[in-house]
Amino acid sequence: MKMWLEDIWAAYGSTLGFGMVNAFFALSTYAVLSAGILSFATVTYAAAGGFLGTQLALHLGLPVFLVLPAAALIGAALAFVVALVFLRLESHWMALASLALVLITRVVALNATPLTGGVYGLSVPLFFPFAGLVVLLGVVAVVFWRLNQSWYGIAARAVREDPAVASTLGIPPRRIQTIAFVVSGATGGIGGMALALSLQFLSPDTYFINIAFTMIAAVVLGGSYHWAGAILGAFVFTALPVVAQAVLPEFEKVLNGVALLLIMIFLPRGLIDPRFWRLRKSAKS
Amino acid sequence: MSLLLETDDLGKSFGGLTAVADLNLAVPHGCVAGLMGPNGAGKTTVINLLSGLLRADRGRVLLDGVPMQGLPPHHIAAAGIARTYQNVRLFSGMTVLEQVMAGCFLRRGTSLMASFLGLPAARAAHRAVQSHALDLLDRVGMADRAEELAETLSYGEQRRIEIARALGSNPKLLLLDEPTAGMNAQESDGIGRLVHALRDGGMTVLMVEHNVRLVMDFCDRVTVMNFGRALANGTPAECMAHPDVQAAYFGRADDAERIRSLR
Repeated sequence: MKMWLEDIWAAYGSTLGFGMVNAFFALSTYAVLSAGILSFATVTYAAAGGFLGTQLALHLGLPVFLVLPAAALIGAALAFVVALVFLRLESHWMALASLALVLITRVVALNATPLTGGVYGLSVPLFFPFAGLVVLLGVVAVVFWRLNQSWYGIAARAVREDPAVASTLGIPPRRIQTIAFVVSGATGGIGGMALALSLQFLSPDTYFINIAFTMIAAVVLGGSYHWAGAILGAFVFTALPVVAQAVLPEFEKVLNGVALLLIMIFLPRGLIDPRFWRLRKSAKS
Repeated sequence: MSLLLETDDLGKSFGGLTAVADLNLAVPHGCVAGLMGPNGAGKTTVINLLSGLLRADRGRVLLDGVPMQGLPPHHIAAAGIARTYQNVRLFSGMTVLEQVMAGCFLRRGTSLMASFLGLPAARAAHRAVQSHALDLLDRVGMADRAEELAETLSYGEQRRIEIARALGSNPKLLLLDEPTAGMNAQESDGIGRLVHALRDGGMTVLMVEHNVRLVMDFCDRVTVMNFGRALANGTPAECMAHPDVQAAYFGRADDAERIRSLR
């Protein structure tokens, strides 16, 4: 029995770890999406959190368990600045601008050699226990649960559905969206540092388009109308290629694509969809 | 009677089209004012200007003597103007109660942070707002549907939910944009009675309304607009008797003569 568990852990432990890292990225994307903003800037918060957090640990000797909160603060501060600029743009231009920001991030990572190691990358000789990551994801999930339950959650849902109507109800859309950006930045910063701790090595390509793709796919898959959807989507999206590889190695990529297509066709609002439950409840009563 | 709402030569153009020109409205405290006019007269533009969704090109809007023009909509809402929409604009995916809760944002009585932390005072305030929202739903006769998804309800029911949502902020001035569109006579009278009850509770209402019978029965004062300008001001009976108003609605007398001569 114990042997069997150890085998499973050896085979899928790292998948679980990356699932959690991706869950931070997906939550960061959900944070802005839940206030009506599509932004890829999570990649930038992750890079800032990852590189600066690692430097804080290596050069200032910050203990590992403090590095993650520090990465959250770095991400949040950066996101606040990004919000000041981005919230002046119309929604689709904002999405494009955030993609541009991702490209700029890579150029900066390549050239800010003292900070990032440039083309040679940066080794991250730090150890963080797996259980620590689980606890951290739990804490972040509680934060999202509270946000959802609070007045912020009510206001954000209104702004997402119709910012003009929300504003005539006295809800300030810019202020709500700025908070969304800061939450997204903090979560993205944690994700970036968690990725650094998992990979133990950072290169300029670590924080790039692949993360943007992963987080959007995870949120679409899991459902963009509930924070739990982002977490579930991240795990499913991370596990899908691994499972496909184990079941039908020849058709891994095909199986992957088919699974994603099926979910999008039959569950266009994702695996977790509060509106669907409510419709069912309404239909019953 | 002192004036709650005043507009002073209010004007708005879209490119070459003048939607509202030199409009002077005067709505006293505690009155139900009607805004009438043929399609395209600029009534909804006026509502959008008053609520801040559109920015006026010219003129001023005064609420209790305080200038409102140029302020963002959420400041205007905080100053005491609430509104509904011609094509009901409820939030998708929200229950009836949540819609009205969103409307209560301004009177939540707690900070966003305290609410996030779930402090006891914030929880108590949240419960108080929730019971207030249920009271508002009771006023529009929708309390028993509070937990249902708003988009599954009928058009008339959605209109009433929207009114409850607008009442959430406890406004001084309630703007209703065609509140009875798509309703039958019985439902329309229900809205009229609700508006009277609100007025008797001290609220001031400005409503865009097409139904002449409803305006005659329920409005204290009327402004009739055509091509962005005010044609007539006064009691409903005075306005209906005004020759310009009759011409705007039924055509001119000499047109009728000409048609007769063509036969």
